[in-house]
Amino acid sequence: MTAAPLVFENVPLSARERAPFTLSVAPHQTVAVLGDEDSGVDRLGGYAMALERPRAGRVRTFDTDVESLPERERLAFRRRVGYLPAGDGLLQNLSLRDNVALPLRFGSDATPYDIDGRVNVILVAVRLGGAADRRPARANEEECRRAALGRAIAFDPLLLVLEQPFDGITARASAELLEIARGGETAEGARRSLLITGQEIPSVVQRRCDKVYRLTRAGTLELETA
Amino acid sequence: MSSGPIVRIGGVAARWLSQMGALARFGFGGARAALALPRAGRAVVFRVTLNQIRFTAVHAIGLVVLLSGILSFLVISQAVRELGQIGATGLIGTLMVVAIVRELGPLITALAIVGRSGTAIAAELATNKVMGEVRALEGMGIDPRQYLVLPRFIGAVTSVFALLVVFDVVAIFAGFAAAAINGMTGTRYTQIVLQSLSAGDVWLTVAKALAFGLIVGIVPSYFGISVRRAATEVPIAVSRATVASIVGVFLCSALFVAIG
Repeated sequence: MTAAPLVFENVPLSARERAPFTLSVAPHQTVAVLGDEDSGVDRLGGYAMALERPRAGRVRTFDTDVESLPERERLAFRRRVGYLPAGDGLLQNLSLRDNVALPLRFGSDATPYDIDGRVNVILVAVRLGGAADRRPARANEEECRRAALGRAIAFDPLLLVLEQPFDGITARASAELLEIARGGETAEGARRSLLITGQEIPSVVQRRCDKVYRLTRAGTLELETA
Repeated sequence: MSSGPIVRIGGVAARWLSQMGALARFGFGGARAALALPRAGRAVVFRVTLNQIRFTAVHAIGLVVLLSGILSFLVISQAVRELGQIGATGLIGTLMVVAIVRELGPLITALAIVGRSGTAIAAELATNKVMGEVRALEGMGIDPRQYLVLPRFIGAVTSVFALLVVFDVVAIFAGFAAAAINGMTGTRYTQIVLQSLSAGDVWLTVAKALAFGLIVGIVPSYFGISVRRAATEVPIAVSRATVASIVGVFLCSALFVAIG
């Protein structure tokens, strides 16, 4: 059996006395963890990407404690995981196209020609089309989210961490983005493993998730949908 | 535990040293990050650097010409009149080279860039941090120093150097005009300025341009990127960056005089 690409073990999510968080995202699974703003659910993405260090417990991504890696290796490792941060995190001085190209330009030795080709493929996949040359300030929320997702899948990772990916966009667009994020289907399920965090997700997306958990006020994890 | 003046002074000194250490680590980290840039990344950094030079140097030429022209014109006008009365106009060359080209030129150029672009760099990077762009870069496996800091650093060093050349050239020509208006012949002015100017002055000016450029590039970047998540930290970071850059430029200038 293949190891889970993302595992949280006894990680405290809140400063309050709450039960530590334990969760495993299995291969080909789409798992959503929802919770109130003060539940600490917004920390999961940072812990998974080793952008923040949990006070206790451990997080293993592809069976690696990313936090313990030297800085340069940690940066290189993160390219194996796609990340869509809350608020998109698009660079405001770049067009949406250049935002999608940025990780490839800094994280690969591909030629500019090859990178442009890959970016064109991604832009088609996320259906950004005519908006690609706009800067984030001139694009609407859905276009920005599509670009942020395109950037997250630039290296075609097998694990995606999505923070509040459906906030502010329609259910139809959410469902479409989820399908792009899943990367197609295999016999075992989605091609990619997904961890989705946020306060709420549309019901159409919930139905496509393998598991939806909710963090309770006590810090326990309740399975909402399986 | 005593909290006498010595303890307090020690505390301030320790904080200052710690800050200097963090700045040095930041600078060296940036230099190391530059060495790890892939080919396509270098092209992006080059493009951002050109933009930075456009904002920092090209857009500041007018300001530097104005400052340099007025300063040199005033100093040389006064000097020609006052030194002429005691028959010491030969000292005008020394005044031009030592006071304006060697000392005030680099200092005023660096201060103008700190005021104009250092604040902008600190504000931009702090905003990048608050907007989550720095976190997103890290999440993509990009060292933020490669994309955000390196182009600003190279841009600042290049701009200080280029603007200093502009400052000195304009100062010498403005001094020429001031001398001519106050009755000194152009040949005499040129002769005494060239007599006072040595290769050492040129190299010292180059060294100062590089040192000040380093300060103007690194210090605002460091303070800008050190904010955490609140928008209220942006003006504080800008203010700290400006003060630290000005103090750094003056201290560096004093160090050059001390070792020169």
